[in-house]
Amino acid sequence: MKNKNVPGMNVDVGGIELKNPVMTASGTFGYGEEYSPYIDLNRLGAFIVKGLSCGPRSGNSPPRIIETAAGMLNAVGLQNIGVDAFIQEKLPYLNGFDVTVIANIFGETIDEYISVAKKLGDVPGIAGLEINISCPNVKKGGIAFGDDPDTAYEVTRQVKSVTDLPIIVKLTPNVTDITRVARVVEEAGADALSLINTLKGMAVNVETKKPYLKNITGGLSGPAIKPVALRMVWEVTRAVSIPVIGVGGIMNAHDALEFLIVGATAIQIGTANFINPRATMDVLEGIQHYMIENDIADIHDLIGTLTVD
Amino acid sequence: MTSNIKESRKSIITARIVDHHEVVKNHFLMTLKVPIDFQTAVPGQFVMIRVKGREDPFLHRPFSINLLTSHGTETFMGILYKVIGKGTTIFSRLKKDEELYVMGPLGNGFDMPPNRKKIAIVAGGIGVAPLSFLAEYLNRQASFSEEGIEEIVCYLGAPTSQLLLDRKRLEHACSKLMISTDDGSEGYHGTVAKLFQNHIDSYAENDSIIFCCGPYPMMTGVAEIMKKYSIPCQVSIEERMACGIGACLGCAVRVKSHGSRPHYMTVCKDGPVFDINDVSWRQV
Repeated sequence: MKNKNVPGMNVDVGGIELKNPVMTASGTFGYGEEYSPYIDLNRLGAFIVKGLSCGPRSGNSPPRIIETAAGMLNAVGLQNIGVDAFIQEKLPYLNGFDVTVIANIFGETIDEYISVAKKLGDVPGIAGLEINISCPNVKKGGIAFGDDPDTAYEVTRQVKSVTDLPIIVKLTPNVTDITRVARVVEEAGADALSLINTLKGMAVNVETKKPYLKNITGGLSGPAIKPVALRMVWEVTRAVSIPVIGVGGIMNAHDALEFLIVGATAIQIGTANFINPRATMDVLEGIQHYMIENDIADIHDLIGTLTVD
Repeated sequence: MTSNIKESRKSIITARIVDHHEVVKNHFLMTLKVPIDFQTAVPGQFVMIRVKGREDPFLHRPFSINLLTSHGTETFMGILYKVIGKGTTIFSRLKKDEELYVMGPLGNGFDMPPNRKKIAIVAGGIGVAPLSFLAEYLNRQASFSEEGIEEIVCYLGAPTSQLLLDRKRLEHACSKLMISTDDGSEGYHGTVAKLFQNHIDSYAENDSIIFCCGPYPMMTGVAEIMKKYSIPCQVSIEERMACGIGACLGCAVRVKSHGSRPHYMTVCKDGPVFDINDVSWRQV
């Protein structure tokens, strides 16, 4: 007889307790209110807020998105209302729910990261910070913090030193060896890692001979990047001892299970939210269903169970 | 504090195609059977559509609602569209009884301020799609009220006579239908923006309103004309979209701001209907 009890789904991601491993990916779920008509936010493992910077940012000129094969490119340009407006206008709404809120932060200088981290450390209702190190570093000629292990180390160490909140560092896949940055960031004090951010790409309109995006290049997301994300998560889980959150093209429970099996402690749903506003719930229910069907009483009995002959 | 809202959740619905045909070259009218709650949709709102059981196209495509009708207890929604790219090409091959995923109605519709006696509808090409729905909606309002709307004039433009869309519906719903064609094959020889400009003196700030939708050059033309007048003018804008509900920020439209920083709004959530003077047309 199958075990019909509700399986144990709670996980600990670097000191952040989650009721289940299904999180929303930053920038794909707004500030929560956009999706609350479609799903019960209380059921999410965690809600990751759209990337916050020191001050408000306008974002890039349109066109900002273009569909590509099994995915999309975006160059939104980190448009956001800024950390102060978030705390005043959006956080009270999210705190009305019983959901773990993680704030994604970024800056163009290390000082900006520190300033945003400090502000969020002072308010109740934030369970942790996710540091986006894919942002261009203006002091290093626009090279992303995450492209250079030294800067990735420095931004992680300095943010860690100004906050008691657990720190998740979100890694960029646009590097030769992601395990190198992963190890360095772990050394700098990161409590967990999330990967991958979008893959840099472009698309051209052959009629006009112009790029489809005003920004020329953009970040590729969606099922097209899932095999790359899965491979990187597998590599990184073997290279570090801190928890890894799998992100990249997860559209359904099957995709999410693959990430858990290769070793991800939790997963994030991003672009799938655009296709199906209920994607997070469908994934959560699908994982539960799989666990019941396979007599897996606790999610930890599933995580990292990849068998290699 | 825990929120225990038990309101019915919105969801993506499955809708069956009950009719689908090419109205003029490359322009199709697709009629879907939709749930009764779509009857609350107002002109200017849109829906996001995907083909059921297909993973390509990957994203939903946004379409203005062109028509809402009910027969008995059944509600039907019409989508009038032009075949432009991959998504619309795939849609155009769908047959009766095939099913679609539909999200909506979404966005903000046209807004009718009080005391408007004279209405001008300026439609260019496929931009007529939300405006025929609006004309019929306003026509019903006019017939129900003693005072209020006295005249609805539609300025309808197309590249050529054969491509004038929804003219029968507009003839019926409007007091007058004025035609323009770029090639002069019917009506005024020139753009619909120019045709409308020739009649703008019949409208006044205190008792008129303009509703407009069409290709960007046409709307930019109308925006240029409206600069010199204070007559309210609302415009429906189109942009590539991913989510349709204000989360992805993909469908940004630049609006005028007083500071030096550019300011963007989303077509899906803040629009698709905007005040024509709020949009930064040079940047579009």
